[in-house]
Amino acid sequence: MWAVGMFTLALVMTGLYPTIRGNPQLAKLHDTYPEALRSLFGITDLTTGIGYLRAEVFSLVAPLLLIVLAVLWGGDLIAGEEDRGTVDILMANPISRSRVLLEKWAALVVGVVIAAGGLAIGLVIGILTTGMHLGMAGLSAALLATALLSIVFGTVSLTVGAATGNRALARGSAVALAVIAYLISALADMVDWLKEIRPLSPWYHALGVDPLASGFSLVHFAVLIGVTGAVGLLGVVAFDRRDLAV
Amino acid sequence: MSAPLPVCLEAVTKHYRQGRGIEGVDLGVREGEVFAFLGPNGAGKTTTIRILLDLIRPDSGSVRLFGLELRGHSVELRRRIGYLPGDLALYEDLSAKEMLTHFAHLRGGPPWGAIAALTEAFELEVDKPIKALSKGNRQKVGLVQAMMGDPALLILDEPTSGLDPVVQGQVHRLIRSASAEGRTVFLSSHILSEVSQVADRVGIIQDGRMIDVRRVRELRGEAIHYVDVRLVGGHPFNLTGVPGVSSLPSENGLVRLAVKGDLNPLIGALARDQVEELAVREPDLEDVFFDLISGGSAATERDSRADS
Repeated sequence: MWAVGMFTLALVMTGLYPTIRGNPQLAKLHDTYPEALRSLFGITDLTTGIGYLRAEVFSLVAPLLLIVLAVLWGGDLIAGEEDRGTVDILMANPISRSRVLLEKWAALVVGVVIAAGGLAIGLVIGILTTGMHLGMAGLSAALLATALLSIVFGTVSLTVGAATGNRALARGSAVALAVIAYLISALADMVDWLKEIRPLSPWYHALGVDPLASGFSLVHFAVLIGVTGAVGLLGVVAFDRRDLAV
Repeated sequence: MSAPLPVCLEAVTKHYRQGRGIEGVDLGVREGEVFAFLGPNGAGKTTTIRILLDLIRPDSGSVRLFGLELRGHSVELRRRIGYLPGDLALYEDLSAKEMLTHFAHLRGGPPWGAIAALTEAFELEVDKPIKALSKGNRQKVGLVQAMMGDPALLILDEPTSGLDPVVQGQVHRLIRSASAEGRTVFLSSHILSEVSQVADRVGIIQDGRMIDVRRVRELRGEAIHYVDVRLVGGHPFNLTGVPGVSSLPSENGLVRLAVKGDLNPLIGALARDQVEELAVREPDLEDVFFDLISGGSAATERDSRADS
């Protein structure tokens, strides 16, 4: 379902591109926005393909939707089993808690990748039909970055849920962290002290470095994967140590 | 050297932040027996059982199953255990077949054919989503799930609670046949008549402490029988010298008696007269149970005074 939604979103967004491209007023309008607004909403030159996709798809809407998917789902994977009481019958099976957690995490990753795949197919169709000029390397880097970013926060949600059994806490804390990460990344260009802590924001490593234009960056992707692994490991340790559903 | 006990708890304590829990529970379940864990709701039965499944961890004490320390052998031991949770929650959106197939996969285990033999024995509808099943059928899904791994130890938490008498009977038959197949059964219940029907031994728990472990036969020996007698011609009945018998208010010449323990002295006394009508009602183990509980808590009070 989410994949279909992401696909539709991509088609609609790219479908609007020709009307915006043909509008010279918009290029001028862009110059009139204050720097803060431009930075916060990723507004760039909307009349180029990269500028349009950066502002309309990858600055906020697409990552936000994918993160919401990953966080809602991640928070439910363990904490939901406890909430519904099915954890008793599940964990009576001869499987270790770490295995349960890892398999749930793998399902989350696959789900996010499928949803991102829907987004990718929609974008490619849109780009081809509207004749947008855009390098495929940049596009795939941005898609991968968006998926990785969602997996980071989905894993946070899964881990907090696994460590506490509290679904609301899991989702809430992951969303809060995502918002903070976004604000740090988006505003760092204007605020000096934010610029210094910017490397702490996964959002910066995913989309703050403008993968649409700059393409794959091993270092930034490695940071995202490393953060996911570390958070996931915390979840495994915490889940293995505690009492379930009390 | 005898085989290690399927279940062996020593001084197991578990406290919750909200209170309750269990305190210094010692418990041994022998191979092949049906052991019933009896106590009022909230006494600590489910806490003890969830410790056996490694769902919660005790604060102190030793938990060994089949001679293995539970912690560290949890996965290996759960392979030999079938478990029916007390407050059974299932995957509502799946059908019984989907859920059981998935669990069989997690057990690395039985093909659907083997599971189907169980669902058919229970006359269970396997293709409907579980949320459309009745309470009794949901419980059957839980029981099939517990049985399908061919477990050496069955742990059933309140297996008949909330079921209609027909399904209760099916569950009791399942327990007895599991026992006949050599499986060890550990079940909890707060219903004494049920325990007396299916169990070999009974462990009684109250307020988180084990009060007593008895053979069911012994419990019956202390039980009260209610006997209704009518003598030919409505003669009055002389009870003097018959041990354990007390008379209750009689009506229309029907003498109502409560007999504690052995019935034979009363039968001997009755044989001296002409009996027109005689009815003996099942021993009411509830009464024995509450005797034990009150005695048990009195004993606990003595212990705690001795400790201080």
